[in-house]
Amino acid sequence: MLRHALHRLLLAIPVMFGVVLIGFLLMQVVPTDPAIVRAGPAATPDVIAAIRADLGLDQPLTVQFGLYVWRLLHGDLGTSIINNVPVVQELGATIGPTLELMVASLFWSIPLGILLGTLAGYWRGSLLDRAIMALSVAGVSVPVFFVGLMLIWFVGFQWQLLPFTGRAGPIWTWDGIQSLILPAVSLGGVFVGPVARMTRTAVLDVLSADHVRTARAKGLTERLVVTRHALRNAMVPVVTLIGLQIGFLLGGAVVTETVFSWPGVGRLAVGAILSSDFPMAQGTIIVLSLGFIIVNLAVDVLYAALDPRVRGA
Amino acid sequence: MSAAIETTDEPVAPPRPGVLSRLLRDPGAAICLVLVVLLIAAAVFAPLLAPTDPYDNDLSLAMQPPGSEGLPLGADAQGRNLITRLLFGLRVSLLMGFAAVLVGGGIGAMLGFVAAFYQRWLDGPIMRLMDMLLSFPAILVGLAIAAIFGPGILSVVIALSVATIPLMARIVRGSALVVMRLDYIEAARATGMTDARLIFRHLAPNCLSAIFVFATLRFGQVILLGSALSFLGLGAQPPIPELGAMASEGRNFLFFAPHIAVIPCVVIFVIVLAFNVLGDALRDALDPRLRF
Repeated sequence: MLRHALHRLLLAIPVMFGVVLIGFLLMQVVPTDPAIVRAGPAATPDVIAAIRADLGLDQPLTVQFGLYVWRLLHGDLGTSIINNVPVVQELGATIGPTLELMVASLFWSIPLGILLGTLAGYWRGSLLDRAIMALSVAGVSVPVFFVGLMLIWFVGFQWQLLPFTGRAGPIWTWDGIQSLILPAVSLGGVFVGPVARMTRTAVLDVLSADHVRTARAKGLTERLVVTRHALRNAMVPVVTLIGLQIGFLLGGAVVTETVFSWPGVGRLAVGAILSSDFPMAQGTIIVLSLGFIIVNLAVDVLYAALDPRVRGA
Repeated sequence: MSAAIETTDEPVAPPRPGVLSRLLRDPGAAICLVLVVLLIAAAVFAPLLAPTDPYDNDLSLAMQPPGSEGLPLGADAQGRNLITRLLFGLRVSLLMGFAAVLVGGGIGAMLGFVAAFYQRWLDGPIMRLMDMLLSFPAILVGLAIAAIFGPGILSVVIALSVATIPLMARIVRGSALVVMRLDYIEAARATGMTDARLIFRHLAPNCLSAIFVFATLRFGQVILLGSALSFLGLGAQPPIPELGAMASEGRNFLFFAPHIAVIPCVVIFVIVLAFNVLGDALRDALDPRLRF
């Protein structure tokens, strides 16, 4: 178990290194000189040179990369060109809302997806199965922003039921919860389909397994056979596949945050790119990538914990 | 040849119906095939079908609802005929998707073939690199590329191609590894053919159905991702008509003229849905053993 986790961690290190290297090179190809930006428009060449030396920009590229990694490890991602706020500070303020949105989306979409997938798999070929599968194909085909805009138009604007712009407060306040509902519904909405589809396949595989036949043969009720014997074993592949879909969810979160003006990392990243705020863009992309790698790693280890057969592989 | 058949006692299997007829047996797939053909035709013939120029605006018509005179789908906020914008937007969106699948799929397929063919030395390095690429969600790749090259259609095509490479490489490699074990490859190799000829003449044709099915499914996903990137402002820039960008422009007028945002969204949904259903049906018709 520990060996497996260590092995995966070792494999993730070069990927993380690659992300940081790409993030560093990003700053080399953009047409802006950070020293000139920091010095301001009235600076003399002497001042700019001094800032260059101070930032280490007069050093060879390899030394600069070393400096960059050193600063990164100390939590220094530079400062925004636009408002001079440290990138880390902005990231700290936006990570919470993004996690809130993702967790709230998973909170309702995974149980619903598993329920629909189990029903579809159990009554394979029935009208219900066809309806659920049609819904699931529609779910993976619909743009997230379409769902979001429709929710804003009907629930927010026409029926005036819920707020639809921004985050009204932290998750533990009533206002905060209310403002989270519509974004979480639209982001989770596109996640139900894939989960239902994966669960259906897994349930179909498990229902024909020997141990399920045995459970039926010894006279267990159908409900017990499905919940205890079939669903439990079907969960292993479903958990992994859900983990692999986190990237899909992250992409959806970027769009959802923009639609609902939700103050998360995705919206911060898009805003930084559109306003050519390179340090901010670099910082947000690196942090999103690293976060994604860590989630993948966690899923991988969790999978091994659930299914002992994986550990040797 | 008939003599050979007559001497065997084994029952002769009935001729397999063609792929197309098997595909059309599924009514959903048949409808989607017709839809896809119509959508592509509409995009190709957009300049002939469109009643006006996509950049012609008449502010007096701004935000006219669908069904107004001469404007079957209404006008956008700048008073441009929405049906014209839609036809040209379809063109841009489909072309973006096509370019990404062609470039990313092409590079991915080559890498997949090479990995399977030179399994001893190249399989490991290529596939580890693909795993690395695969570990990034497409939207994140889109953000990074847009940060480097600046927002634009080219950035979106590059990002979607990059995101397609590892997926296609995996599928082609898997398919090619199965073919590589077949005797005829060994026989062809024994005739002293060059590796390139072996790959293109003997290996690739037998992997085509996997490539084709995946490309169809991927096309839908790429259109969806591309429209999302354009919606974020990282893709096609106004005033270029592109479905995601049109939805984004319309978003600002959602409460006064919802049709401006809703109509492009519905079109994106229909395209992606049609390609997804068609891809699934094509997989079942071509080779039910394929699973992706």
